[in-house]
Amino acid sequence: MNCHSPAVAIDPDSPIVLVGNPNVGKSAIFGALTGRYVEVSNFPGTTVEVSAGKVGGLPLIDTPGIYSLYPRSDDERVARNILLSRPPRAVVQVADARNLRRGLLLTLQLAELGHPFILDLNMTDEARARGIVIDTQRLSQIIGAEIVETVATRKEGIDALRARLDAPRPIGYRIHYDGAIESAVDSVTALLPADLPGARALALMILAGDDSILAQYGGGPDRIEAIRAIAAQTAARYDQPLNYVITQQRFKCVDCLLAQVIRVSPSNGKGWAESFGRLAVHPVWGWPILVVVLVGLYLFVGKFGAGVLVDWMESVLFDAWILPAAKSLAAFIPVPLIVDLLVGDYGLITMALSYGIAIVMPIVLTFFIAFGLLEDSGYLPRLAVMLDRPFKAMGLNGKAVLPMVLGLGCDTMATLTTRILDTRKERVMVTLLLALGVPCSAQLGVLLGMMSMLSPAAVAMWAGVVAVTMFAVGWLAARLLPGQRSDFILELPPIRMPLLGNILIKTAARLEWYLKEVLPLFLLGTFILFALDRTGMLAALERVAAPLITGGLGLPAQTTGAFIIGFLRRDYGAAGLFHMARDGLLNDTQLVISLVVVTLFVPCIANVMVMVKEHGWKTAAWTVAFIFPFAFGVGAALHVVFRALGIVF
Amino acid sequence: MICSLCGYEYDETNMACHAACPMSNGCAILCCPNCGYQVVDESKSGLAKLLRRLWKIEPTKPQKPAEENTQ
Ligand SMILES: Nc1nc2c(ncn2[C@@H]2O[C@H](COP(=O)(O)OP(=O)(O)O)[C@@H](O)[C@H]2O)c(=O)[nH]1
Ligand SMILES: [Mg+2]
Ligand SMILES: [Zn+2]
Repeated sequence: MNCHSPAVAIDPDSPIVLVGNPNVGKSAIFGALTGRYVEVSNFPGTTVEVSAGKVGGLPLIDTPGIYSLYPRSDDERVARNILLSRPPRAVVQVADARNLRRGLLLTLQLAELGHPFILDLNMTDEARARGIVIDTQRLSQIIGAEIVETVATRKEGIDALRARLDAPRPIGYRIHYDGAIESAVDSVTALLPADLPGARALALMILAGDDSILAQYGGGPDRIEAIRAIAAQTAARYDQPLNYVITQQRFKCVDCLLAQVIRVSPSNGKGWAESFGRLAVHPVWGWPILVVVLVGLYLFVGKFGAGVLVDWMESVLFDAWILPAAKSLAAFIPVPLIVDLLVGDYGLITMALSYGIAIVMPIVLTFFIAFGLLEDSGYLPRLAVMLDRPFKAMGLNGKAVLPMVLGLGCDTMATLTTRILDTRKERVMVTLLLALGVPCSAQLGVLLGMMSMLSPAAVAMWAGVVAVTMFAVGWLAARLLPGQRSDFILELPPIRMPLLGNILIKTAARLEWYLKEVLPLFLLGTFILFALDRTGMLAALERVAAPLITGGLGLPAQTTGAFIIGFLRRDYGAAGLFHMARDGLLNDTQLVISLVVVTLFVPCIANVMVMVKEHGWKTAAWTVAFIFPFAFGVGAALHVVFRALGIVF
Repeated sequence: MICSLCGYEYDETNMACHAACPMSNGCAILCCPNCGYQVVDESKSGLAKLLRRLWKIEPTKPQKPAEENTQ
């Protein structure tokens, strides 16, 4: 390994620059080195300004926190430009010893810049408390750079750090990217001005799509064009954007380094949490725990959310309060059509808002709270471990399904990830199954809420249909992705008491996302129903669909409307059914049948749009043309079976 | 960002799925590159930011050093 130092004369005023991820203690180190009082707090964005001071007569600069040299905010841009604008005397990276992975990701990027460098592992007190042991000597050997350990708040290691500032040297270690990227870096570097310091780093920034760097260092328009062409050619080799590919390769390299230098000693038995964590994945005791958790989830979401909260929102807030107020206000509008559009049978307020806010919101709210609890307590990965077992036992691939069902499970994005599959046939098959059977978690929440109205046998019936589709996805995935069969490796976090603040913030973010995503579609769906109703087409549709809806499925004609809005989003359709059931228009058997049908629907219109984008119009049309008849077909089959066997829920 | 499901740590600013969703420009869902588990990006939620600010104002905020001084 050759440690070539950059061929730049260091000017006497060039500063020592402190860089690092946010909240790693840069400002605390700055204060300790300069002796100047600096306000130390972990309030986000403390270091918006760049503070300058002196250490041993040399200028020292504290910069805003950065995650990478690829700026996404003004703060990050400031920090990067300080590194690029003039060669610093030394770069001191402050890294959080508790989170070395993230720190090293930045280290390896700084290595590409080639500046003289010192790595400061800060927060070693906290790291030690967590049982994290870092072999700094080994790390220093591997990356070829000086490393100091500090505890900034107690000024430990500061003298050692100060002593190293005299003789910093560039990092010897270089990442080797894959062949295509390396040769692109070489070609781009050849087009950049000769002797440009940090050319490798700049070339990578340009490849990652940083146009400002290209404009600044690219030279004339011809060269810029040539460089753009190289970037485009290289990008075409990957499914993901280049900056993503580059980051992934860096992470791979970091993980390989970490494996050699970091050791986490098992936490020394923390009583009940520790033993509960072990029991939760126990082959026998794990199951009763799982059942208790699921029943708790069901009681909270189904009984409390869909029962108590929806009752209150619907009958008190909306029926007694908001709707009468809206109706009397609307009476002042002179155009009857608009009055109807707002507060009529298919009114934007009477239907879209009251379904969205009075029915769906309390349900997803409780669902998101429950999920936040599962995540924050550390139980969620254990739940996945348990659920993965039946998949594995059957030789299926749980990894293909579980993260989706457990996460927000947006099929739209899952459709995008099917890109990793090799053949077109495989991609289309998986997309189809995803659209068919895997409800996104918000929809799962709504459906779960509705279960509260059903008998246990009816719930089991619905769950059986969903489980069969999920196993089908797992089966197909196991055949299509044979290499990944047993790859569902989870790092189990410790079980801990969930923090109220975390859960509130998580829930708020999810609720906001959900409402932003669905309310517009709810409004659109209602508007379509309104227009159909006004033009008399709704009645016509109900008549046309009657053989199917009333005859085939055994449902009342009004469910046609719920199915129509279910085309836009299944959960809106489900909310419509829920509303009807609450009004006594559907019995349990009818509710099960209609729920199964809606569950098998295409999840949402966005999903269809992604299918069009990814697989083309024809395939999307075929998929949709398959799914809807299939959904109704399964419903009709259930109806026939129920009637033949005399099953009533 | 540390994935709540598999424990994999990833750089949320670099997630490819962001641009690809047709429904919204800058979809707020993050997708773990290791396992595919999806979460909502809290940094894109105004409500979460507001709560976070309110929460920080609560007395749980870490005490600042006593010799408060201005520079
Ligand atoms: N336990 C511990 N806390 C530290 C250490 N260094 C900094 N901190 C705390 O970490 C938080 C963030 O520090 P700050 O200097 O503002 O980080 P910056 O964002 O990188 O400038 C502050 O609350 C510090 O008190 C350390 O070595 N050990
Ligand atoms: Mg700071
Ligand atoms: Zn993950």
